[in-house]
Amino acid sequence: MSTTDTTATDVRFAEVATRARRNPRRRSSRRNDPRLLLFVLPAAVLYLWLVLWPTVQAVQYSLTDWDGLSVAYRNLGLANYDRLLGGDTVFGQAFGNSLKFMLAVVIGQTTLSLVLAMALQRNTRTNIALRALYFFPTVLSSVSVAFVWSFVYDPTFGLANSLLSAVGLDSWQQPWLGDQSRAIYYLAIVQIWFHAGQMMVVYIAGLQTIPADLYEAADLDGVTRWQRFRHITWPLVAPATAIVVAYTTIQSFKAFDLIFASTGGGPNHATEILSTLIYNSAFRNFEFGYAAAQSVIFVVLIALVTVLQQRAVALSARRA
Amino acid sequence: MNHVLSAGRPGRTPVSRRSFLAGLGATGAGAMLAACGGPGATATPSSSASTGGTGSGTVGGVTNFYHWRSEDRAALDSLAAGFAARYPGASVTQTIDPSEQYQSTAAQKARDGSIGDALTAFRGTQFNQFTEQDILADLSGSVAVGNYVANLITPGAQDGTQYGFPYQLIFNMPLLNTDLAEKAGVSEVPKDWDAYLGMLDALKGSGVDPIAWPGNDPANAFQIINTLAMNNGPTPEMFIGIQDGTYKATDDWWITSLTQFQQLSAYFQQNFAGASNDGVLALYSQGRAAILPTGTYQLAQVRAAGGSFPIDLAPLITTAAGTTPAFEGVFNATFILAVNAAAKNPAGARAWVEFLSEPANAAAYANATSQHVTVKDVTYENPDLQALAPWVEKKTLLAPRFQFTDADIRSAVENSLVAVVTGSSPEQAAEAAQAIIDEKRGG
Amino acid sequence: MAVAAPTLRGATRGALLAVYALIILVPMTVVLFTTFKTSAQMYASPFGLPTSPTFASFAELLDGGRLGTSLLNSVIVTGCSVVLTLLVSTLAAFGIARIHGWLGIAIFGLFAAGLAVPAQVAMIPQYVIVKQIGLDNSLLGLILINIAVTCPVAIFILTGFLKTLPTELFEAAEIDGAGPLRMYRSVALPLAAPSVAAVAIFLFVMHWNDLLYPLLFITDPAKATLPKALLDFKGEYTTNYPVLFAGVLVASAPMVLAYVFLQRYFVAGITAGATKG
Repeated sequence: MSTTDTTATDVRFAEVATRARRNPRRRSSRRNDPRLLLFVLPAAVLYLWLVLWPTVQAVQYSLTDWDGLSVAYRNLGLANYDRLLGGDTVFGQAFGNSLKFMLAVVIGQTTLSLVLAMALQRNTRTNIALRALYFFPTVLSSVSVAFVWSFVYDPTFGLANSLLSAVGLDSWQQPWLGDQSRAIYYLAIVQIWFHAGQMMVVYIAGLQTIPADLYEAADLDGVTRWQRFRHITWPLVAPATAIVVAYTTIQSFKAFDLIFASTGGGPNHATEILSTLIYNSAFRNFEFGYAAAQSVIFVVLIALVTVLQQRAVALSARRA
Repeated sequence: MNHVLSAGRPGRTPVSRRSFLAGLGATGAGAMLAACGGPGATATPSSSASTGGTGSGTVGGVTNFYHWRSEDRAALDSLAAGFAARYPGASVTQTIDPSEQYQSTAAQKARDGSIGDALTAFRGTQFNQFTEQDILADLSGSVAVGNYVANLITPGAQDGTQYGFPYQLIFNMPLLNTDLAEKAGVSEVPKDWDAYLGMLDALKGSGVDPIAWPGNDPANAFQIINTLAMNNGPTPEMFIGIQDGTYKATDDWWITSLTQFQQLSAYFQQNFAGASNDGVLALYSQGRAAILPTGTYQLAQVRAAGGSFPIDLAPLITTAAGTTPAFEGVFNATFILAVNAAAKNPAGARAWVEFLSEPANAAAYANATSQHVTVKDVTYENPDLQALAPWVEKKTLLAPRFQFTDADIRSAVENSLVAVVTGSSPEQAAEAAQAIIDEKRGG
Repeated sequence: MAVAAPTLRGATRGALLAVYALIILVPMTVVLFTTFKTSAQMYASPFGLPTSPTFASFAELLDGGRLGTSLLNSVIVTGCSVVLTLLVSTLAAFGIARIHGWLGIAIFGLFAAGLAVPAQVAMIPQYVIVKQIGLDNSLLGLILINIAVTCPVAIFILTGFLKTLPTELFEAAEIDGAGPLRMYRSVALPLAAPSVAAVAIFLFVMHWNDLLYPLLFITDPAKATLPKALLDFKGEYTTNYPVLFAGVLVASAPMVLAYVFLQRYFVAGITAGATKG
């Protein structure tokens, strides 16, 4: 990669990019039109009634020993939280696994979907066909994805070990999902395979809002591809990145179906994440109050991680 | 209906506010949804499950049967046809949820009687939950009681009241391919631990995997705990003891069990820790592994996957040579048939349960589904069921794995098995398990 | 070097795209082949070509005629849910993007919070509410819950995109005397077309594959959606994979078609962007 003139070009493109970004950020100082609230109303009514209200009820349950069914229950105050934070080894393990899984999926999936989107940005016939192919795993149900990959990872019959054996790498054969230290990452690969195509779609939408003249100006100045990416694509695709990262984070925390269907959280809780643990507390042990307390902590964690990530994305785009 | 509204809602939540929100939502969405009035898109609840049932004991109308066995749909449909023929005007519909879903929400969905006039329960946690919530009607006086082998239906009774009839009889014991055993020179199922290991050595020497263990499928992998514990436990109620604190995972008997399981793992297939149920099923069905350590509930699958060899049960006999083991094997009785206490059609539901309990109908069910049943005087036509029928008479223990009612404690104990086959010593594994049990019991 | 670089880049790009295509195609081919095998053949050779292809799976899938009903139910539920979710979400996103100051942020935060709620926790209270108003066992109930549960995602994505639109556009429209409704219709919607299409695809996938709510609310087989109907082939212990996979393929066909169709809007989006510049 050529390094001559980098600084001068960098500065000029930073300017162009900033100009393109500045306008949307400017705020009108005038008062809000009250009619705008009517636009929010239909969604708000349905959402408050069927999502937020049930959730608030669940928060109430977290202070009780309700079993999810009985009329009777006892108020426990913060005892559920005490038990969770004080001494629940499995909860701690699931918490750690959720973070590992989230990090692996967010980094892998965001990178892969951006690379694919950039490669397939132009609307040629081949690209359109490839987009449809890459998108395809998304339309499958989690149960079929879990099954397909169980045949990839199966130690005896699986595609993975068969391929290794075919190329003479028998010693690399693995128990895959049976490997307690790495199983969670092998599942992260499945999650990425499952959803990268979906995030690619968001990135394509984002890339297509970048005005073509910015690239043309850049090409006239003979910048490197990396500079183009660093100073035009990355900052201008930031709104899409924010969406992709936030959505991927939430999706990875909630990857319940896939994990439930492939390992059930095992072996020895090695792939237990918070959502599978919450399910077990609520519907295996019928400790609904305790499950509710686990999910309150879960929601706080998601919120925290999402806010941190949004900061990081905004910061890296601004630095450009 | 009111029962559901008032039930299970901790905290004081003003109903008026909720109804207000509900009203608001309905008006707001009503206009938009008017355009979507396709078939079935109306707000009127289904009437299919609630007609009939005149209450005076006459059998008629529609009876809804709620269960989790979608593989039994056809068999039950043809039994329902027989039921309709006996009681003109009566019919049975089935509502089937997948077993996971059934375990998690059946109580919630069935308790107001809107579905499941007749229903089923899993042995253990779910049955207890149903009786605690008064979901099951008393069947102690039913004529069906006498149709069952008395000691097989105890899982459907509580405090002297018979609430239901466990219908399926399952042997949760390792399945042995006797062709492979004979080829390896083993002519009878071993009766002590050394002989068992001897059989495994012989099988290994003959070039097959002695045991195909589904290490990555908890529901199937840990069936092996049943025969492992049956003669090791200090009492037949060893896991109840672990759960209530009478025994500990660090007690000698469990350390012994863990040590034996570690010995056993030397005979598992390669990379067993990651094996899925489908993978081991293929190994076993193709004759590449001699033992499938799960249970008779997989017989039908083995046959469907192409396995055509003779099968016997090979429970782990963990006792030393010369001593007589207390138990020869284990059984489980589940799929508990019951009548909903809130049934819309109680007469129909009761008649349907009694109908299924008749030997001829139970035989039809058993033969069509490849399951043994708990009903007396049943003639099995299915060759596998015939071959294994002698086990009904043997000295078997009700499968101890289902003594656990706390899933966390059960996982802790089961996971100590995983730990000893992936590097831990039995002592370490037992301590780790007991630590989690203590946390749970303290909480 | 200057000549070689683009071809090398082209080759790298081509190799990358081909490898990823294979990673998707190979497992999917296994699924496709499985549908033409019997269970025994599948277990005997999971990756092999179907040696004696059978159409029994598809025949069994169509047997009993329940597939047609559940297909129709799925089309109704998905169609209504997608259109209505898009409607309420574009309205709300437009409102949120145009409401300045803390109020806009607060409303956005309220919806965003809904993304974080684990479905298993809200499930039981939701069941009680839906049953209470008599909407269990009805497609309408499913549609309502679908809208409520997925509108946060849609609003989240759409607001993100709408906020990137230059405010001048709206100010100019305002000077021309346009009210909020006209601004929504003639400015926001056309400009947001690519992101609306992206969200539509999202919603399509989610509503079409959703199993949790049909399992929870629908007990009458005549009202089952496709994913729920397919569960008939998945028993407690025995799963009929060939038939299940045939069902999965049949069920995913409409989705792929929907995607191919909706891609046109991306094309429209890029054309609009080009002419604008």
